[in-house]
Amino acid sequence: MTDLDPISRKFQKELNAGTTALVLLALLARKGEALYGYEIAKQLAQVDPELALGKQGALYPVLRSLADDGLLESWVEPSVAGPPRRYYRITPAGRRALGDWAHLWRRTRRLVEDIVEEGTSEGRTP
Amino acid sequence: MSHSPQTIDQYLAALRDAFGTADRALQQDALSDAEEYLRGELALAPGQDEATVLARIVESYGAPEEVAAAYRQTEATVQRALEPRRAPSPTGDGAGSGEPRPAGGMFAVLKDPHAYGAVFYMLLSLVTGIFYFTWTITGATLSFGLLILIIGIPFLLLFLASVRVLALVEGRVVEGLLGVRMPRRPAYEPALPFVERIRAMLVDGRTWTAILYMLLLMPLGIVYSVVAVIGVFFPLALMLAPFAALFGDIFISEGVRVSFGPWYSSDGASADLLALVLMPVIGAALLVGFMHLARGIGRLHGALAKALLVRL
Repeated sequence: MTDLDPISRKFQKELNAGTTALVLLALLARKGEALYGYEIAKQLAQVDPELALGKQGALYPVLRSLADDGLLESWVEPSVAGPPRRYYRITPAGRRALGDWAHLWRRTRRLVEDIVEEGTSEGRTP
Repeated sequence: MSHSPQTIDQYLAALRDAFGTADRALQQDALSDAEEYLRGELALAPGQDEATVLARIVESYGAPEEVAAAYRQTEATVQRALEPRRAPSPTGDGAGSGEPRPAGGMFAVLKDPHAYGAVFYMLLSLVTGIFYFTWTITGATLSFGLLILIIGIPFLLLFLASVRVLALVEGRVVEGLLGVRMPRRPAYEPALPFVERIRAMLVDGRTWTAILYMLLLMPLGIVYSVVAVIGVFFPLALMLAPFAALFGDIFISEGVRVSFGPWYSSDGASADLLALVLMPVIGAALLVGFMHLARGIGRLHGALAKALLVRL
């Protein structure tokens, strides 16, 4: 996963552009409570140790844009140790969006799986 | 990448460099996000060499260049999405409704939420300006007055810290109403020993420029609010004058009557039609002109706030 050629890395980046937002939204919906950026990154690292979604530094701007769109609410709280933390929690609008996005995702996944399955198995068999 | 950062401060400096000339507020957001992650990671590895931890962080969080690229990309996408709402293009307007283009461009200001935001900000700045001014003067005089006693020092530090919080709040107000991008997070504070942090606050130029801003906002706020009140109500009065004229002179007592202008003769016989038509037209033109002025003032003030409140 680590040593991809530039073209595949570019593909990976494009693939991640939308899925990261969906994954973050789903993660925060599952937790229900407010989490701060670093906690979110760590939660994600547990399920994605290989960083299939890319470097964790790229998660923060996505969180911010989700908050700008009103899908997450966010606020800053001072912390005892270290810099202030920005917390994020999913909003009702975020839950609605998650429902729609999950539907779109399933549809895309079915299509992609079918076509990729055919394409790669044809390539293997001749 | 030329060389990998050895300390958190080096990483943050590299991240700042990687942004180059990008928006300062965006840069500040990215720096405080990175600071949070880096400090969190370092806290989980007590006793480990900072350079070793950083090497691991570059693997998981990304190199400064990658992180900067991620922020720039997200910001660009958001900007594109906001653009049509923020500034409706006069060409699109004119073509759509068949209106002459200059008029569409002229009146587009009426559809610009930031023009209304600017009017509201101008009125609000009277209140916030007086509050900031009072707070700053009280805090400064008390702190410096008490400096001869030992209690003056904690007082001064508390006051300076409060100014930095107010600067952040004002930044949010300016971004919300004027649409000028401001930092959404407090500037990162390196986890230094207490005395070092105090020193950092004292030598940080933004602390002092924020105080200057707090003081400046009172005279500016007075001017803004006077301009806004006149700018809104004088055109409105002109526009509503014909309706007032319908009621003629208002008789209050013998010899005291309120007259609504020379176009209405005091014996109630005839009205000057030309004046009745012209007044609302002039009023409407003045109102549109004022909206342009308000938007311009909003942009100027946003630039001022950004220069004095955003540190980098």
